[in-house]
Amino acid sequence: MRALNGLHARYNVALVSSFADRLVALPRLGLGVSTEYGARRLSGALDPAVLRRDHPHYGGFLEVGVEIEKGLDAEARAWASAGAPTTYHFLDVNLDEREDFDAPWLDAVRQNIATLGPAWLCGDAGLWHFGARDRGQMLLLPPVLEPEAVAPMAQGIVRLRESTGHEVLPENPPGSVFVGRLHMLEFFAHVAEAADTGVLVDCAHLAMFQRARGHGLLDGFDGFDWDRVVELHVAGGTEHDAQGYAFVEDDHGPVVLADTWLLFEAVISRASNLRAVVVECERNSIAQVLPIFARAAEQWGPTT
Amino acid sequence: MGSYDVNDERLDPRRVQCVLVGMMFDPDYAARVLGDAPLPELSSRERLLLRGVDPRALGTDRYRRARAVSVLLDEFPVTATVLGVPAVDRFFATEAFRASVWARGSMALACGAWIGARAHGVGRLETAIAHVRRHWAPRESGSSGAAVASPGRLRALVVPAGTLAYHQRARQRLGPEPAVVLARRDVRTSERPPQRGAEYLLVERRDDGSIDVGTGSEPLVRLLAFAHTPRSQVDLEAEAVRWGAEPDEAAPLIADLVEQGLLTVAR
Repeated sequence: MRALNGLHARYNVALVSSFADRLVALPRLGLGVSTEYGARRLSGALDPAVLRRDHPHYGGFLEVGVEIEKGLDAEARAWASAGAPTTYHFLDVNLDEREDFDAPWLDAVRQNIATLGPAWLCGDAGLWHFGARDRGQMLLLPPVLEPEAVAPMAQGIVRLRESTGHEVLPENPPGSVFVGRLHMLEFFAHVAEAADTGVLVDCAHLAMFQRARGHGLLDGFDGFDWDRVVELHVAGGTEHDAQGYAFVEDDHGPVVLADTWLLFEAVISRASNLRAVVVECERNSIAQVLPIFARAAEQWGPTT
Repeated sequence: MGSYDVNDERLDPRRVQCVLVGMMFDPDYAARVLGDAPLPELSSRERLLLRGVDPRALGTDRYRRARAVSVLLDEFPVTATVLGVPAVDRFFATEAFRASVWARGSMALACGAWIGARAHGVGRLETAIAHVRRHWAPRESGSSGAAVASPGRLRALVVPAGTLAYHQRARQRLGPEPAVVLARRDVRTSERPPQRGAEYLLVERRDDGSIDVGTGSEPLVRLLAFAHTPRSQVDLEAEAVRWGAEPDEAAPLIADLVEQGLLTVAR
């Protein structure tokens, strides 16, 4: 792991133990699948329990997307009560806004953690809602990629980690608009060092960023501390065009774009502390997504 | 959002994101940000960053504004039948919307404040319903020493006579999914909402989340409306006297309202 370079002090983030120490306690979860409230109710959507039963190496754990307002659905509760591993993916907190960590929300997060028993928390480090956390105000925008945005984000990660007693892995969000001069990987490298945390790299989101910015696929890789990568996401997407503006919709569909696979392969080969890979495919049938799991397992290698 | 010297080099990431949200909801505002006209809410550096945005990228989610309008139609169904759906849609092109984003406000409450009296009593009634639905909504700040206020689950309001019956008729016509009905067809009604006289309403959220709307006496409604802003005991007693209480009855009256849960005391 790259030596700490004083970023914690520079960004005014207090740390009590190092990520290197905490990393030892993080379990290896292998390949898993994502869900969120009500996903199973969609026609033809996969049943994570069936995936785990029929393909235990693909359903090693369930990443539960949680919006406190909606809570946990029956499938997530059943999975957890069976003692199967989980991770908690937040869907409703702007990490860089101190006001978002209000007591009722934190209490509800802790209750859901008690129910799920997740190995860690994770989620897109972006703008999950504009204005208050209220009806009709949910969205997801990437952070402003400027140095001033690093400290508030890092402080939020530490705040959530200390409030829950669980690791919090920030994830690079998707987007069609990216504002700021930093590369997404450079921004998250600073955030990870300032919060002294592991990270979650979403390969589909990273491919969207590289495409939107006109970068090469591996641009930005050199400055990133890949030893901090604990979890990877791979997911399908759909290419669209809006008035000549090409973009990818992060729809978690059954077709993983070639760029995403290339990035997945490139990250896997660098992420020496990888603990988990999630195939985000909750709205598809098992038959549709088995090839994605098979390819992810093959690329991660015999250690999965 | 305040204003900057145009040469200011400061950068507030939150401000940039709030403006970006405004741009995503309103192409005209996006054009202003991307254009040359002065824009006091952004520093020169913030403006420069946002001017790098490809305007086509702002429209990749074609239904973003429509979804938000749908939420507001659900909150203000009868208001929308009075003003028309396009009027509700226009909220997203207002400074009121952008200010609520910046102030971490509720979109629905900001819309209600923006509607104000334009839909007469029904707009104010539906704003009151939106208020009590959000028990977490911040209340108006009171003066120092303010100790008594109406609870967040209760709003008292004075509207034109007949407003409640008008609202109930219109609401019934719209059925259980008003936003769907409003989005599909123009349901503007020829029946104008009441504009004369006075009706005194109490809007209350029950423990099970349901919302009751009923009438109250003028003195009670006016006193509770006065207490939407936290007040001192002395000010509240004076208000009670103003609306007909004997001076020696005011303190016991307020104590009784506290006992009934219609007022709360900060401890």
